[in-house]
Amino acid sequence: MSFEFDGVVRLTKVGIAFLIFTIFIGFAAINTGNNALYIALSFMLACLLLSGIASKGGLKHLHVNFDNIQEAWAGRAAEGRLHIANRSRIWNVRDVVVISSQLSSPIFIPVINRRDEVEIDAQFLFERRGLVQVNTLDLYTRYPFGFFFKKRRVRIRGEVIVFPRLLDMSIADDRFRPVEGELHPANRPGIGTDIHSFRDYVRGDSMRQVYWRKSASMGRWIMKQTEIEAARVVHVVVDPYKSRSASDDDFEQMISEAATFIYDALHRNLDVMLSLPRATLRARASESSTPIFRALALLDPSHEPIAQTIDRHSVVFAVRKDDERASA
Amino acid sequence: MNARAREIELLAMTMMAALPLYVTQTISAVPLLAFHIAMAAIMLRVITGRSPQVIPSGVMRGLGIIYVFFYVIDAAVISRSAISASTHLVLFIAVYQAMESANRRLDGQRLLTASLIFVASVATATHITVLPFVVTFGFLLFRQLIHLSHQDSVELLTARAIEPPSNRAAGFYVCGTTVIGILLFPILPRVRNPLVPGMIGSLTSASTGLSDSINFNEQRNIVPDATVVSRVWMGQEAIAFFTPLRLKGTIYEVFRDNKWLQGPRGLTPVQTRNGAAQIARPSGFNRRASVQQRFIIGTRLFLPVGTFEVIGVPQVYEYPRRDIYTAWQTRGDLINYDVAMAWTTNPLRIQRVPITNYPVTPAVLAMAKQLAGGQTDPMKQAARIESYLSTKFQYIPNPAQIGRRMTVDDFLLREHRGHCEYFAAGMVALMTALDVPARIVGGFYGGKLNPLTGYFVVRREDAHAWVEVYDGNGWRTFDPTPADLRPGNAQSGLLRAYASALNDSVNYFWDRYILTFGLGDQIALAAELFGRARNMLVGARHSARRTAAQVFSLRYLLIVAGFVAFGMILYLIAQRRRPAFELLRNHLRTCGIEVGPSMTMEEALIELHRTQPEIAAAFAPLIALYEEEQFSPHPVAARELIRQRLHELTVNR
Repeated sequence: MSFEFDGVVRLTKVGIAFLIFTIFIGFAAINTGNNALYIALSFMLACLLLSGIASKGGLKHLHVNFDNIQEAWAGRAAEGRLHIANRSRIWNVRDVVVISSQLSSPIFIPVINRRDEVEIDAQFLFERRGLVQVNTLDLYTRYPFGFFFKKRRVRIRGEVIVFPRLLDMSIADDRFRPVEGELHPANRPGIGTDIHSFRDYVRGDSMRQVYWRKSASMGRWIMKQTEIEAARVVHVVVDPYKSRSASDDDFEQMISEAATFIYDALHRNLDVMLSLPRATLRARASESSTPIFRALALLDPSHEPIAQTIDRHSVVFAVRKDDERASA
Repeated sequence: MNARAREIELLAMTMMAALPLYVTQTISAVPLLAFHIAMAAIMLRVITGRSPQVIPSGVMRGLGIIYVFFYVIDAAVISRSAISASTHLVLFIAVYQAMESANRRLDGQRLLTASLIFVASVATATHITVLPFVVTFGFLLFRQLIHLSHQDSVELLTARAIEPPSNRAAGFYVCGTTVIGILLFPILPRVRNPLVPGMIGSLTSASTGLSDSINFNEQRNIVPDATVVSRVWMGQEAIAFFTPLRLKGTIYEVFRDNKWLQGPRGLTPVQTRNGAAQIARPSGFNRRASVQQRFIIGTRLFLPVGTFEVIGVPQVYEYPRRDIYTAWQTRGDLINYDVAMAWTTNPLRIQRVPITNYPVTPAVLAMAKQLAGGQTDPMKQAARIESYLSTKFQYIPNPAQIGRRMTVDDFLLREHRGHCEYFAAGMVALMTALDVPARIVGGFYGGKLNPLTGYFVVRREDAHAWVEVYDGNGWRTFDPTPADLRPGNAQSGLLRAYASALNDSVNYFWDRYILTFGLGDQIALAAELFGRARNMLVGARHSARRTAAQVFSLRYLLIVAGFVAFGMILYLIAQRRRPAFELLRNHLRTCGIEVGPSMTMEEALIELHRTQPEIAAAFAPLIALYEEEQFSPHPVAARELIRQRLHELTVNR
């Protein structure tokens, strides 16, 4: 016997037995005209009635909210917090079970007193990446007497951006080892410590980059250009083009691989630069990587090829027409 | 409360459920004692932390199979009653389940069994003291059910949770159930199945001062019994005429072997007109009275002397003797009816009234003639004899005080003392000596006025015997027993009388409105409600005419206008405070979409898209607005805007 069912009420085994017993006493009362049996019948009917009223009245006044989940990955449990308020002036509610397709497991709340609120840690589980709407939760209770299983679907409103599913790290280690950033020189100007070249001053340059000795000898301001620290940066390009022959699962798999690669790189203390069709995002190992994963989470497939700049050392993720998986 | 305490409570509750069976004697004491001993043994083992299996599981299962056959033997041979055999079976099941609970969870089944025992107990308990028992059982049952509900939920989820205390919750639900039960009780239909006679008969092992004969060969031993026999209401103006009450139950008019026996048998249905069974012709002052009576001799009616009509009894028979009446009622041991009483009543038909066969001795004849003193009118003769006996003879309340058997002649000629039956028999003997028809009447006398409820209550200990003398037209009542010593005239202290009245009032309420509440009461209740409603309507119509002139005066119009304006303001405020969800739901309802309690607005919109896409397109922004207002971290005041848009949509449609 499970909790979930369609509709709003279901009789339990105890309830069925009690109902049959009540009908039996009802027949006995009518047959005998014995008012002692009528008393018993009245109380049993009152019991059924009160049970229904109490469970319905209790659930009716429950209001649920949840704190936005900070970091949710597809296929992984994400920690959240449910706030359940009982605004009833009469009914305490007990043994409330909260069930949702987006909760990793049902939540059991022993008691919510009237005009009180409880906070419960909840684990959410999202199957797919992207913007997920958490709209409804189902509340179940068999309180007070266990005769009925009452259900109420509560409306809540919450959005969660679910990051792409991460693949098994051991697989990622094998597949992405050859592209570790420190094995390849960058050979282009950028933020770094080694001098790459010199050039004339242009408006806006920082005075800290002035190469004073050369400037003095040449009589004009000469600026130092440092070489980009390519040894610590991995440039990842994700091509969102999805051909007609490629399936959605292929595309999702590609996104997952890209996310796993980036996640792994960041864990190796490498910086990651992610190039998408209309944005380039950079994440340092020491800083928040949320924007990159958020961008991957929200990336929709494109049905037209999009031109993207790729250099020699870029790691490109794409879904190939010939159904060949994208790979580094 | 830990599991062991819970188990002990369940065992105690089951044992408690069977306790009233000792009093009601639905089953004999032996199986009840066996049940309680077995349960006590189980409880003892549980208290000491051992398994509840007093008997090994396998043996107990074998006994269970054997009991199926034993049940048939029990019902057919031992107890000879399916109800008793079934009660034995349920008691056995209760013990079996308690032991079997060591192997598997049987809480639900055990609660059901305890409830069955409980219903078997209360079904035959007719005293008000059953109420505290019901409430206590209800409280324990609710506690157990709340626990069971919690356990089932936890087990399904395989969760671990501390169970909150359930005392207050159980108390709350007991109060709630009581209130709803009290409201339900009078409206549950009392439509009886006429084919089944029912489980309730007249009082078992009832003892009463009334017997089939007055036997002067044996000493009478009267045990005081305060059981209420009858309660009688009458108007203030009737009290002076019809009290002290005499409820007639038996007539003795045949003398044999120093015994007074009842008259010839008879079975004559009394004709009923308009719900009233006429048993005599009235004469003089007459009034109605209401009676609630307990059946103590079959379904015999104890009608007040002076009764000429019985109202509210479906069928009355003159049975088992002439001038004694019986109701046709197969169920219940209480009956409510009305009687019409007259100062004098005469038989409906002319009767041949014989003189009793008492063997009058010359001494008795001489005494009778002496007492008559030359009077020839039988009533005057009877009055003189009544007066003589009541003043010159000594009344002994307890017949045991006489110390030996005594004949009526002994009473009249030598002892000059005795109890009421001697006085009545003595007078009948004297009237027989004068050739005047007379008979002894057994019944109940007196009755105490209950100041709290205004009825006269007559008890078993008020049993009495008096005399009826035939005057040529009808029977007239005489009572030679000294008036202040008659059973129903015993006085008690004020405090005791008040306590007795209070106790009886509660009992009366229980008897009248619980035990004997029936279809007639339901009809009366409905009729009264209907009558009140009609009276209110008529009253309102009359008062409306009277006040019409006032209402249309300027001052009243202003007041009414003020109230209307206030009401409108309240309505507008209420409208403005109506949640946006409700506004949208109402509008969607007009579009044929019913937004149920478990439906979101978005789901409703999807439904609307499916059925009426044009309206849905116009509706979508409103739902977006609603959701922004409701769920956004920075809500906007969109309710007014939604209302306006909805109004526009309605106008456009």
